[in-house]
Amino acid sequence: MLIRPEAVSAGAARLIGRMSPLVLFIALWYGACSSGLVNSEFLPTPTKVAAALADLVSGGEIARNLFVTLFRAAVGLALGSICGIWIGLMMARSERFKAYVTPIVGGTYSLPKSALIPLFALWFGIGNVTAIAAVFLACLLPMIVNTYHGVVTTPKVLVWSAQALGTTDRELPSQVLLRSAMPDIFTGLRIALGFSFVLAISTEMIASTSGIGKLIFLYGENGTYDYMFAAIACIVAVAFVADRVTLLGMHRLLRWHESAAADYERRRP
Amino acid sequence: MLNIVRPKIEIRRVSKAYASDHGPVLALRDTDLAVGEGEFVSIVGPSGCGKSTLLYIVGGFLDADGDVIIDEKAIMGPGTDRGIVFQEYALFPWLTVEDNIGYGLDRQHVSATDRKKIIDRLIGVIGLTGFEKRYPRELSGGMKQRVAIARTLACDPAILLLDEPFGALDAQTREIMQDELLRIWLETQKTVLLVTHDVTEAVYLSNRICIMSARPGQIIEQFTVDLDRTRPREELVLSPDFNTIRNKVWLSVRRQALAAGQQNVDPS
Repeated sequence: MLIRPEAVSAGAARLIGRMSPLVLFIALWYGACSSGLVNSEFLPTPTKVAAALADLVSGGEIARNLFVTLFRAAVGLALGSICGIWIGLMMARSERFKAYVTPIVGGTYSLPKSALIPLFALWFGIGNVTAIAAVFLACLLPMIVNTYHGVVTTPKVLVWSAQALGTTDRELPSQVLLRSAMPDIFTGLRIALGFSFVLAISTEMIASTSGIGKLIFLYGENGTYDYMFAAIACIVAVAFVADRVTLLGMHRLLRWHESAAADYERRRP
Repeated sequence: MLNIVRPKIEIRRVSKAYASDHGPVLALRDTDLAVGEGEFVSIVGPSGCGKSTLLYIVGGFLDADGDVIIDEKAIMGPGTDRGIVFQEYALFPWLTVEDNIGYGLDRQHVSATDRKKIIDRLIGVIGLTGFEKRYPRELSGGMKQRVAIARTLACDPAILLLDEPFGALDAQTREIMQDELLRIWLETQKTVLLVTHDVTEAVYLSNRICIMSARPGQIIEQFTVDLDRTRPREELVLSPDFNTIRNKVWLSVRRQALAAGQQNVDPS
């Protein structure tokens, strides 16, 4: 298929449009540094940060620590999601289970999970287990709440139709309830994804010897702010990509869903 | 009239109470009804009289006092012998048209070749060839309801339970769908229990019409409809026989609606 030149220029125009806030941000940053509005010791210029970034990337320092952080975030997110979906489903299906779990969920929902990091460090020591436990707990709650909501709001007529078509009680979650809850589960997953980065990095700052969080903390302590900003920029980029990948997966898996379709249509010119 | 030699469905002294903020509300009280094999029975009544509740009890979706007996056995919950079609279509939105129709077959682990054969035949019956890969959100109301009917027919249930199946459709689509249902019923001779508030629809489709009283619902009057279903619609609907029975049914429903302090019965 031929690519029409006007389609290319339209794509380029859209790309420029999307990048312009980022360009503006860097320009303001530069302006703030060079005008002396802020002390350049505390806020290094974009060029210095870029040089530090190049140094970190070429030295392999970033890749090594990024891998550690991503491993902790991913394992905690996966465990938290699986358990959260299961608990949310059980709450929706059993009044008794719900009665037991609701006070615990309600009590810990608004608690900042990072407050528990020192406690976890005491129990699990410095390293992977503490970080994964903190990420797990933070991801668990949004998954529980959103899965529960999705399952509970499954239209009764869908469940009844499935039963009249020979669906057993065992098959009901996998065939109907969790599928109907999928848009809500994805909403929970996006929130949990954000939490997984927050908790992995904040745990590393307090109780770890490796990871991006530790790196940021160390550069901050040493006053090498250009390197600190470079490390932050890396994790921002990775978190952004992770969120986009989740959104992409959501659009593919929720093609059947009205809001996914509407969202998709809106993006088209 | 069909002789009820052996009732296919027997509803014996069924009562149902709902919990509400103002205490329990009795929806049905000691309702009795027998439906013969191959019979098409409509239940008509003022809104809120519990006619849909009765249908859900026969479907096994709601618990109730009393017995529902199918083929001389009391039912224990939903079963594939009773297919249901709801007003709101209730298609699985995450499945395509063909997978919706194949859903019941998948639960019974029907072989891929038989599955395809049944789906292809039903898609032909409902006239949706070319729409196999569409999702429900891409279909019109009439198309959705056709898929819902095909999905139910795929499991070949002996009984069809229809809960105001055409209530959400526009008048023209509704008539087309009624003709399709009539054709399917004449071909398959399934036992049908239809809940509707549309008197003309009930007369056009059924062998027998049961009028339900206002809450707590009970069947208080029955009309036998003896019309030649093979005649074209215009001829049938404009005939004096049709209108005599339609007027009788309408007056009976209206009395119930007025008794309930409501005037929401469609006089068409």
